[in-house]
Amino acid sequence: MKISAAGLSDVGLKRERNEDYLAMDNSTKLYIVADGMGGHLAGEVASKVAVQIIQKNVNNWINKNSPVTEIFDFPDMTLSQRGNYLSSSIKLANRVIYEMSQEYTEYKGMGTTIVILAIMPTTIIAANVGDSRIYLIRGDSMEPLSKEHSMVAEQLEMGLISEEEAKISPLRHILTRNLGSSDTVDADVFEIEHVDNDHFLLCTDGLTDLVSDNEILNIIKNGNDSEHICQQLISEANKRGGNDNTTVSLIRVNKESDEKRGIIKKFHTFLKNKK
Amino acid sequence: MARVILVFNKKVIKEYPFSKDSITIGRDEANEIVIDNLAVSGHHARIDKTGGIYILTDLQSTNGTFVNDKKITSYKLQHKDKITVGKHLLFFAMSKQEQTKAKDEELDKTMILDTAQQKELLEKQAEKKAKDVSAQQGKTGVVSFIDGSGEGEIQLTKKLTKIGKAETSEIRLGGLFMPPTAATISRRPNGYAITATTGKTKVKVNNKVIKESYYLKDFDTIEIGSYKFQFYSHDIENEK
Repeated sequence: MKISAAGLSDVGLKRERNEDYLAMDNSTKLYIVADGMGGHLAGEVASKVAVQIIQKNVNNWINKNSPVTEIFDFPDMTLSQRGNYLSSSIKLANRVIYEMSQEYTEYKGMGTTIVILAIMPTTIIAANVGDSRIYLIRGDSMEPLSKEHSMVAEQLEMGLISEEEAKISPLRHILTRNLGSSDTVDADVFEIEHVDNDHFLLCTDGLTDLVSDNEILNIIKNGNDSEHICQQLISEANKRGGNDNTTVSLIRVNKESDEKRGIIKKFHTFLKNKK
Repeated sequence: MARVILVFNKKVIKEYPFSKDSITIGRDEANEIVIDNLAVSGHHARIDKTGGIYILTDLQSTNGTFVNDKKITSYKLQHKDKITVGKHLLFFAMSKQEQTKAKDEELDKTMILDTAQQKELLEKQAEKKAKDVSAQQGKTGVVSFIDGSGEGEIQLTKKLTKIGKAETSEIRLGGLFMPPTAATISRRPNGYAITATTGKTKVKVNNKVIKESYYLKDFDTIEIGSYKFQFYSHDIENEK
């Protein structure tokens, strides 16, 4: 399996600070994007603290091969062990940020969204809280692997409003879940088998507010180099106003490297010749 | 502080200062703004204050809530907005400070709504709709064997269900040519999808060989090797 990952975070055109945080770790195959919120420096602190706590704990549990019953909070039996590591690390990060915001006045009201992608030998695990997203791009189509925790998304899901109403709703930017606003939080976690040449896009709402799903898909389909695609996505958001910080990370998974295929081929010809 | 001014027949009835995080409007006595008129629902609408902005939400009232004569579901109130509930008018007024503050908040700022507040809001909105929602939401998938192998029914409670010969498979199938994992069914944001794992063992849905992934619909038949089963989803809540 070969993984190529690229990522970029941009302050945009209207904001003074970048409250997004991006972490890519090819050795543990863990990719995280967070979009912080809160006054002064609090937003930056929240997104960075969340990512660091998640990285540190997930790595620690992997190294110790910790049973799911011995990590933070109750395990979710519908998930794999690694799925539980992600979900549990998010709960832990939430608790820390929540307590920081209760303890210090300068951190009052701080919070962050989170999206995590973990690549396993045959599967990927996607976990999220808030309105940052993970997309799966497979062949010619793109679909979400994250659930949006916003008023609008929940109203849409309940059938209270239409897609058109959702796009112009004043509640677009109001989250119903994030890390830091409550003492507990539940992440949405999805696990799927990956196939050759799957692409995964992690991004914050700086991109998705301004660039439609179709436009994103087109940029990815027509691009070659992951780094260049990330650059294009950010330029597109900035071209349309750059209202918010924008962070994107594109990860491509190739199941069999060329080398391995070569070996299998050789082995096949070897067998045939023997016959 | 913002204020809501209740007007009926061109006469001001009462003025309500916005001293709490939310104000509810309706015929029921439990509301902050009680309007005793049959055109008004028991719990008609509410206004929530979040950050520096005020959001008006219609609680699925019978006769609807209007702002400046347009029907709304949810609406971000501006200074001097006219809210119509039945035959009553409610004028929304902000203080000077709040008007400037609201402008500063404009810039696509992400906010979090207090959890209890939003849950209540959504629940109230949903009360009437709940019965009509037929979406896959909260439904659990089931596969039911129809090939006489006697495997019965298997609930797809896991996020990823592996189907194949491997001992770790959630659905174990035998057979000489059965690979360790022939297919997987994953629970995704848009529903349940089945994925053929290897190219060698054909996975058929409704007699068509699937490539990569396919979103399952109720009563789709799936064939893997000599096994045949049917997918459907059901509401767990109802069975309890």
